[in-house]
Amino acid sequence: MSKGVLATPKRGIRELGAEELVGWDEVTQGTILETFETEVDNVAHIRPEERPYSDFSSYTATVASWRVIKPVYNRDICIDCQHCWVWCPDTSIVSRDKQMLGIDYDHCKGCGVCVEVCPTNPKSLLMFAEAEEPEVALTKWPEKKKKEK
Amino acid sequence: MAEKMQLNEVEVWDGNLAAAQALRQAQVDVVAAYPITPSTPIVENYGYFVANGYVDGEYVMVESEHAAMSACVGAAAAGGRVATATSSQGFMLMIEVLYQASGMRVPLVLTVANRAVASPLNVRGDHGDMYAGRDSGWVQMDAFNAQEAYDLTLCAFKIGEDMRVRLPVMVHQDGFLTSHTAQNVHPLQDDEAYKFVGDYKPYEEMLDFSKPVTYGAQTEEDWHFEHKARQHKALFDSAAVIDEVFEEFKKLTGREYKRVESYMMEDAEVAIVALGTTVETARVAAEELRKEEGIKAGVVAPRVFRPFPFNEIRDALANVKAVAVLDRSAPMGAMGALFNEISAAMYTTPNRPLITNFIYGLGGRDFPVSEAKRIFKEQKAHADAGYITTPIQQFSGVRGPKLGFFETKRS
Amino acid sequence: MIEIRWHSRAGQGAVTGAKGLGDVVARTGKEVQAFALYGSAKRGAAMRAYNRIDDKPIINHEKFMRPDYVLVIDPALAFTDNITENDKPTTKYIITTHLSKDELIAQIPELQDKKDRVYVVDAIGISMDTIGRSIPNTPMLGALMKVSGMFDLDFFLESMKRVLSKFPQKIIDANMEAIKRAYNEVY
Repeated sequence: MSKGVLATPKRGIRELGAEELVGWDEVTQGTILETFETEVDNVAHIRPEERPYSDFSSYTATVASWRVIKPVYNRDICIDCQHCWVWCPDTSIVSRDKQMLGIDYDHCKGCGVCVEVCPTNPKSLLMFAEAEEPEVALTKWPEKKKKEK
Repeated sequence: MAEKMQLNEVEVWDGNLAAAQALRQAQVDVVAAYPITPSTPIVENYGYFVANGYVDGEYVMVESEHAAMSACVGAAAAGGRVATATSSQGFMLMIEVLYQASGMRVPLVLTVANRAVASPLNVRGDHGDMYAGRDSGWVQMDAFNAQEAYDLTLCAFKIGEDMRVRLPVMVHQDGFLTSHTAQNVHPLQDDEAYKFVGDYKPYEEMLDFSKPVTYGAQTEEDWHFEHKARQHKALFDSAAVIDEVFEEFKKLTGREYKRVESYMMEDAEVAIVALGTTVETARVAAEELRKEEGIKAGVVAPRVFRPFPFNEIRDALANVKAVAVLDRSAPMGAMGALFNEISAAMYTTPNRPLITNFIYGLGGRDFPVSEAKRIFKEQKAHADAGYITTPIQQFSGVRGPKLGFFETKRS
Repeated sequence: MIEIRWHSRAGQGAVTGAKGLGDVVARTGKEVQAFALYGSAKRGAAMRAYNRIDDKPIINHEKFMRPDYVLVIDPALAFTDNITENDKPTTKYIITTHLSKDELIAQIPELQDKKDRVYVVDAIGISMDTIGRSIPNTPMLGALMKVSGMFDLDFFLESMKRVLSKFPQKIIDANMEAIKRAYNEVY
């Protein structure tokens, strides 16, 4: 299955909800969950793929299997407006220095919001069947629509 | 640094001022409060202490008791020593958040001046609010006078903040009968008191940015039960730490506290079990009856209502013949809660004493020594007859025809 | 044990008076209890405050009391409140009034057979003259010192100065004058 851009050995390594069910003597005190495995200074300046996310963080979980359709990203048309990045409910649009890089397929649930909000013509993001390879999908991209008079 | 206050060896404080002084001496970081009679002076005094430089803390004014307790939970999760006070309707509005506090295992202290719960509206005291907190997962301690309100509030921080406990703690006192009754109080000096309570030790605090944590996670069916089981065990296990803290407090002050207090129980044949100021009034009655009529009367009182001292109750009442359990709360279609819990404990002993239930003192109705004596004498009559000669639940001190429910089934 | 019941109106200082007395007494090594029972009633409502004084810790929390002293600091309450409730054959009454003792007793049937145990003082008038407000609590304490002989006047004045220490000097001085006058005028 496609992991999308900036995949790391920690990202999406387990299916969400398939954690080992431990007993009352092993659950955390007060249901307090630690985000990282070690202490991290200045976390805002460290990129997600470099952070020591713990098993309690959803970064290490994946919901890829929940998807039946997926967004495919077309770099050639994108104008880096960041609309998709703003609207994505699962932080699955990966953008660096305001430049769109692509989709985190470990956390994307295939809701299609990014496609809805994309303002380009044709859209820079389109939904395809989950089984479709992105490279193949890019060959099926529609032409620019002409304005109706 | 906060300014120190020079205290006299003996101060004449009411329960509210006693609790407020304990909050000051513990140097509470945050008090978020929405004051309500009769506990108002606790936070009012803390506000005075902050305003005049006697505490390096924050007094946060909020728009309701629900917000007060919410702000307290937030401040405690953030990593501060936190306390507030409430009563009655305010307590009821806090209840939703009380469960959040204990579930998140944050050690904050709630000082409660117990008051009746409306309707009808009434500012005077009974234990309706205290009882409403009994399933909330907090340690609940009960002071019978102003000195104890002071002592137990200091102990509360030490108990709740202990790394083996990390649970919120309530310190109850009777509204008006303790909260507004000035009596001789022997306080510790500021340094002594602070040294006893100790510096606040943070645990998984949210303001540690190098270690981000999630509080209040959603668990659903897969995890909820395990977390609640662990929390329940933690509350029962806190008993050992409570005993340790009481022991340390005794070494410091000479004042001894036990999770179950027993008075004149060595040879007692009949006993009253109660909470709050009634415990002391019943002691007066027991002493007088012993002198006047030779009735071997004693008094047993859960100092710690939660965790419920199941074993210690069984020990305290191991040899009595008849027990009256006094509930100062309207049970509304059931036996009194304290009666039920005492009965359950005693049912698992070889000596199953005759246990009756009195509902008394609702809304601040006076509980005089004469009535305590009457109740003792009734227990003596049960003991002599070998069975309960009255209804099992009776109302004490209510006007109108005698009110009682249920008879013993003897065949 | 000495037991004292105050009959007052909310705002007249019975609670402060009872606590002030408690403060003074506690400094002599005795145990005290000072409490008041009131609801949501506002200034002017009839209310009662209580003191208990003993050599050993006071653990009785009942409201029921058979008082040794009944202190009435509002003149009208002598007529409208049941000031003789639960009294004893030895209970002493100190009542604030502008009337003479004989005039007062003549109007209150319950006091007819207690004449030798009734004392009067114009605590309201004294407080108006000295403090400038109708706060009859400290003059009532001055009268109590005279009637009970609990403490001598100088000791009591010194103790009350400490109790009132958070107030401005002018108010402390006025209270001292009020106590002295009531001590000398009660009969």
